[in-house]
Amino acid sequence: MALSKEQLKEVETSLIQLAQKEIGPLIKSQSGTKFESFEDKANNVDLVTVVDKKVENIVQEFLTKKYPDFAFVGEEGFIKGETKIGNKPTFIVDPIDGTTNFIHGYPYSCTSLGLSEGGKAVVGVVHNPHLNQTFHASKGNGAFLNGERIQVTPRPLILQKSIIGLESGSERAESPGSNFETKLRTTNNLLSEKGGFIHGSRSHGSTAMDLCYVATGLLDAYWEGGPWAWDVCAGWCIIEETGGIMVGANPGEWEIPLENRRYFAVRGGAKKEEQNWFVESLWSHVEGQLSY
Amino acid sequence: MPMTSKEVNLKDIEEFLTDLACNKVGPIIKSKSGSQQNYELKTGSRNVDIVTSIDKQVEQIVWSTLKSQYPDFQFIGEESYVKGVTKITDDPTFIIDPIDGTTNFVHDFPFSCTSLGMTLNKEPVVGVIYNPHLDLLVTASRGNGVKLNGKPFDYSAKVNSMGSLQLNKSIVGLQPGSAREGPNFKCKISTYQNLLLVDGGFIHGSRNLGSSAMTMAYIALGNLDAYWDGGCYAWDVCAGWCILKETGGRVVGANPREWNVEVDNRSYLAIRGTHSIEEQEKYIEDFWSCVVGGLKYD
Repeated sequence: MALSKEQLKEVETSLIQLAQKEIGPLIKSQSGTKFESFEDKANNVDLVTVVDKKVENIVQEFLTKKYPDFAFVGEEGFIKGETKIGNKPTFIVDPIDGTTNFIHGYPYSCTSLGLSEGGKAVVGVVHNPHLNQTFHASKGNGAFLNGERIQVTPRPLILQKSIIGLESGSERAESPGSNFETKLRTTNNLLSEKGGFIHGSRSHGSTAMDLCYVATGLLDAYWEGGPWAWDVCAGWCIIEETGGIMVGANPGEWEIPLENRRYFAVRGGAKKEEQNWFVESLWSHVEGQLSY
Repeated sequence: MPMTSKEVNLKDIEEFLTDLACNKVGPIIKSKSGSQQNYELKTGSRNVDIVTSIDKQVEQIVWSTLKSQYPDFQFIGEESYVKGVTKITDDPTFIIDPIDGTTNFVHDFPFSCTSLGMTLNKEPVVGVIYNPHLDLLVTASRGNGVKLNGKPFDYSAKVNSMGSLQLNKSIVGLQPGSAREGPNFKCKISTYQNLLLVDGGFIHGSRNLGSSAMTMAYIALGNLDAYWDGGCYAWDVCAGWCILKETGGRVVGANPREWNVEVDNRSYLAIRGTHSIEEQEKYIEDFWSCVVGGLKYD
């Protein structure tokens, strides 16, 4: 039995409370204090701290108590090959998105709390305590920033007049066809006068914040490979509630699952045809294929 | 009471520029952000080097306000600059970018700001940067420390709380800018690659705010460790340079061995304050070793 709009709104409200009261203060007070104490996950730039794990425990405990029938998938508890996102309502959580930012004190770490059902993002709350911003939405209920409705001003959406969120990510190996190479070449193509010649790229080091910026129309799009379902679930819901779309980063990936790991978000405030045209235009500059 | 260049009180000038930024310029930038659908492309150049009528309007306001208060001081602004003619002398000189991050301004991306600086003997000695979208004000004058939103900023404590400055533990501001063709662009892309690569600098990450002044303000506040760029002008960096120096930070050239550069060098490597000069210099050398080729601007 699918969750109703009212039920989704109730979850959204719970997540906002959790984010603002429990998680935000922790992130804010600990940000920029962990210069000497972080671990490397995959390599020396894929970072995690004890605070990431602590926050995930708090979130998991709260949510499994309040919603015992819902499943829970969090970044820190994820087991490769085992953890799966099923059809039942599932919280998909990144306790601290932008851990590098968190360690360095760059004010763009945030918590990203999402809920999926039937494999689709249906609730999203992203809270950045440094900027006092809570982006929140649930399916059918609209999207908001600090309680105020997000409206994306309709205006032309053209690749050559766009600003796009592009991040450096944590994969840094140079080899033919590597994800790093594909990203660098694609960035080059998008910027180049002979290529997309976009107005510019922007990068704040947090997938969730980038998606929220697309949702509010501050960015026209975001193109990335490497993030996980917990980085995008919340932002994906928020974007869709503002008329934006999410497709895959590789050309031709029109429909993608939450765990696709290759994401390409485009803002609302544009007709469907314009969005589709934008997607195809950007795809034409992707050099190679991202693969995870 | 108009001042002559014999009586240069840097603190007073910092306050005057702060008032100008927050009360005259800031509100215009904030209210007009995202509203300029009709913008021009700058002379001889490209579809991404944008200027709006608001840039020019704001510069006019700043120029006339400064001219009446400091009639003997020189003035260099982005919109009135004449290539080959406008020069920075030893005189007290206001060097301003009315709206830094014009692309941000046009797109309503909240990182446009006003950047008001002053040089004396060609050295940045006053800097005021104000971002009205974030209500973020960062100011300094030589010998008087740094203020954040009008209150003294304890940059010493901040630097002491940060880890050591090492290339492979740093986050760096990198901005491709508006030149997207030719040797400078190639140098930038190759250098970015080198900085990021596991076999290269392996920096923690790069950030791009689309505004030189905001990037330098972020370094002064300890949010970023460094910024490497070319193509910008004196007005993009003058204010930030003064502020950075007050925190123990430093600006050198973007190319290897350019230890001492003028404010209008057009390519820069800005570094935050550190625990020791040796640490700072090692960082600079390590960074330079990742630069592929070199940046060259007229």
